[in-house]
Amino acid sequence: MMKELVTMWRDTRMIMLVAVVAAVYAALLIPFAGLVIIPGITAVRPGNVIPVIFGILFGPAAAWGSGIGNLINDVFAGTFGPGSLFGFIGNFFFGLIGYKLWGNLGALSSGVEPNFRENAGRQLLEYIIVVVVGSALCASIIAWGLEVLGLFPFSVLGTIILLNNVIASVVLGPPLLYLTYPRIKDMGLLYPDLLRDEDLPDASASRAQTAAFGLAVVSVVWAAVGIAVSLGIQDVPFGASQGEQFGAGGSTVQIAIGAISFLAVLGLTVISGERLSKLLD
Amino acid sequence: MSSSPSLYVDRDTFLHRLNARSKLALLVGVFVTVYVFGDPLWVFVPLAATFATLLLVGGWANFKRLSFIVAALFLVGFAVWPAFAESGGPVLLETPLGTLTERELLFALGRSERIAAFIVGGLLFVTTTSNEEIVAGMRSLGFPYAFCFAVGTALRLFPTFLGSANTVRQAQAARGHEVGGGNPVETLRSYIPLLIPVFMTAIRNVQTQAMALEARGFDTRGDRTFYDRQPFGPTDWAVAAFGLALVVGSIYLRLQGYGTV
Repeated sequence: MMKELVTMWRDTRMIMLVAVVAAVYAALLIPFAGLVIIPGITAVRPGNVIPVIFGILFGPAAAWGSGIGNLINDVFAGTFGPGSLFGFIGNFFFGLIGYKLWGNLGALSSGVEPNFRENAGRQLLEYIIVVVVGSALCASIIAWGLEVLGLFPFSVLGTIILLNNVIASVVLGPPLLYLTYPRIKDMGLLYPDLLRDEDLPDASASRAQTAAFGLAVVSVVWAAVGIAVSLGIQDVPFGASQGEQFGAGGSTVQIAIGAISFLAVLGLTVISGERLSKLLD
Repeated sequence: MSSSPSLYVDRDTFLHRLNARSKLALLVGVFVTVYVFGDPLWVFVPLAATFATLLLVGGWANFKRLSFIVAALFLVGFAVWPAFAESGGPVLLETPLGTLTERELLFALGRSERIAAFIVGGLLFVTTTSNEEIVAGMRSLGFPYAFCFAVGTALRLFPTFLGSANTVRQAQAARGHEVGGGNPVETLRSYIPLLIPVFMTAIRNVQTQAMALEARGFDTRGDRTFYDRQPFGPTDWAVAAFGLALVVGSIYLRLQGYGTV
């Protein structure tokens, strides 16, 4: 279960893919600043599309690569610090979601390879779900972590990261997959071509589907509830309980919601599967 | 974009000579100190000490490069936090949008100082620690070799891809391609001709580099030796102990009720 996240490190090409994904991700985050929303704080970056599309193509290598790439970006951009740990974890899952969800969304899945050539409308729907779920999970993990550290309220960062990731990935992902997928497949670099059969998750189709829907629900609900709590909805004020209860970090309610959600995500990831290997011609 | 994206400053200072692990221990001590206190006066002490150290080790140019980000994060934090803090004390400002109390102001100032201290602390680490030292430090902390190798390779490839991204941008601009447009979607779509060549160039390297590694007997499971092995000397132990003392001392003071708003 989830063993491919460890066993992939035995394959030289998967290791090189981790390094290349990390380097490309970091390299594209910096020069292509994209549409600046708040100068110095946030911009809609074209590079944010990388964890999603590479996640679908390269699976676990893209998850590790996205985490490392974000870390490298922190080191070179000068924002390396305690928050980098949550940035690593958030981007790791951002890259992992596409691998876990593509093909496993039941009636919402297109049932074909992500090449945007056949069933393009259904592929677009499936792709948008993958993007929203991945972005929500990434945003929730980072926003939760930075609230625990007492740097920014969940609602501020959660909303910004969610929107940034969704906008860049939805706009850029489909044309990029249309253009790159056939070439990468021809090169034999898709994760089903690189991972040994026994390393791929052995989850049954129904279990993989249940886990994929579970990941989707937990991610979106976590983001929505986290933002709602942070905004003080349902009389759970964010700042009011800080000094008294935790000393320095976020509110106790927010910490509890995050801890439970993250454990649920971990559990669902453990029992989840993948589908692309069965969709290949 | 500068030709070297690295923030490492090659100097021979006390901090530069330390092992990456002891620097990390010191950094953890500073981060915990900054984290446990909320009173801006108490947070200011480690912030000022870290900033002064950054200047001493030659990090002014790095700070100047990032000062805009630090200032922006500080100001945004300062503007956002009062809305999320419990009010208390005398009202300092009254506007049609709301009031600002003394507690809200101090809370926001403390949080903004914390943001700045985290960034300056991280900057101090990357200013005094080279990429190779970071990777060697990770390895000696027990991270698996394959993971460290991937991080090291990514750090090495990163400037290459950064240069390649800039070259592609210039090449497409020379062909008349304009980045931007009337709305955010058009702006983003205009990046597609820039992203494809960078992607494909990078991915094409995977096969050849993997073959080159395997031809040299690359194996992630065997024990590795390093040419440039940094010893963990008495000074490193002393610095690590100081980092630990910072952690214990600051938590103790916080539990005694010091440094809160």
